[in-house]
Amino acid sequence: MYEASDSSLMQAVRDGDLGGLAVLFERHHRSLFNYFVHVNGNRDLSEDLVQDVFFRMLKYRKSYQPERSFTAWMYQIARNAHVDSIGKRKFEVEIGDREFASTNMMDENLKRKQEVALLKRAMARLPLEKRELLVLSRYQNLKYEEIAGILGCDIGAVKVRVYRAVRALGQIYFELAGEKAS
Amino acid sequence: MNCEQARTQFVDYWRGTLEDSEEFRTHLGSCERCRAEAEELKDLWGTLGNLPEEDPSMAMRVRFYDALRDWRKQEAQRRQPLWWLRHPAFQAACAMALLAVGIGTGYVVRGRDSAEVSQLRGEVYNMRQLVALSLLQQQSASDRLRGVNFAYHVEQADPQVLSALLTTVNHDPSVNVRLAAVDALRNFNDSPVGRNGLVQALARQDSPLVQIAILDQIVELHERSAVSAIQFLLSGQNVNPDVRQRAQWALKQLQ
Repeated sequence: MYEASDSSLMQAVRDGDLGGLAVLFERHHRSLFNYFVHVNGNRDLSEDLVQDVFFRMLKYRKSYQPERSFTAWMYQIARNAHVDSIGKRKFEVEIGDREFASTNMMDENLKRKQEVALLKRAMARLPLEKRELLVLSRYQNLKYEEIAGILGCDIGAVKVRVYRAVRALGQIYFELAGEKAS
Repeated sequence: MNCEQARTQFVDYWRGTLEDSEEFRTHLGSCERCRAEAEELKDLWGTLGNLPEEDPSMAMRVRFYDALRDWRKQEAQRRQPLWWLRHPAFQAACAMALLAVGIGTGYVVRGRDSAEVSQLRGEVYNMRQLVALSLLQQQSASDRLRGVNFAYHVEQADPQVLSALLTTVNHDPSVNVRLAAVDALRNFNDSPVGRNGLVQALARQDSPLVQIAILDQIVELHERSAVSAIQFLLSGQNVNPDVRQRAQWALKQLQ
């Protein structure tokens, strides 16, 4: 069956067919929600922000340019929504380890469970900028070009920054693993 | 290739998107530090990609669709050319003016044949009905939307307008118009044909938004005869999860 692309749906929304937004919501709300949860660690706030993103899309729909990636545009709006939500607070938000502890990991074996818990703790300690980069590049699997579009830099810079973020994560992760082992 | 150059390619190496890898592999083969780092972080990269996803609550979806519907209503209102005509303040002023004119006219024409007045009233009513019916058949969705709004203001449950509205609910290509028509059917809540038409329309809809609007209205009317239609809807294979949830809720309300 023919499935409309994100871009053509957004164009339809831009031209007044709001039904397209419902389809876009169904396609993207879960990944957006996960993006926010990883960035701010707060489920309730993340749900509010997802809603905010879709209504910003409606509000600014005239500014959507079909030649640009829809995903990149959406995450750019998401970043702005996040920045606005923390308002005058510092851009770097400290997230408690506890807030990341709520996931269903019922069926996983213990080792993997510990690994995941440790990785989440390490992610929570990472500066926001690096954390966000890892969520976009690995968790959301965005293309380099899309991330470059969101961050406003070139592809080469994205590669270097992602590498640095992984290395920083690795340092924290292995440090935590060491603490635990000792 | 030196260590710094090699490291800029680590991410491609982990992603499996490294194109020209000969130089890179030679470097990894000769530099133990880079090799150790690339492998160690590669595992971490793998785990990072397999972090379990969190599920948002169902309430989030409901809130989204509620807000979208509100937005749509406001938008439809704004799009109407003389939207200020429907503003309560304007309408109140008109009502006062009409009352004054009515009382004045009453004094003047007292004693005249009242058949003339009722004939005039009948003509106005027919005119409104005519406008609604003709607008509902227009090409442009916004015209049809205006037609639905006229249908809203036909005071008496006119069977012709009702039938036009039901045709709109069942066949209009625009979800917006269908949604507005479902709303306008509230005018015909007392009519068994209207209630029956609403229940029948449920099975014909492909838009989750319209299905949910109809389900809400059925619950509002407490239309028990809809139970089998809702059960039929639930038995479908490709039912939208929101619709399914709302249908189950509707069944509970009706039982």
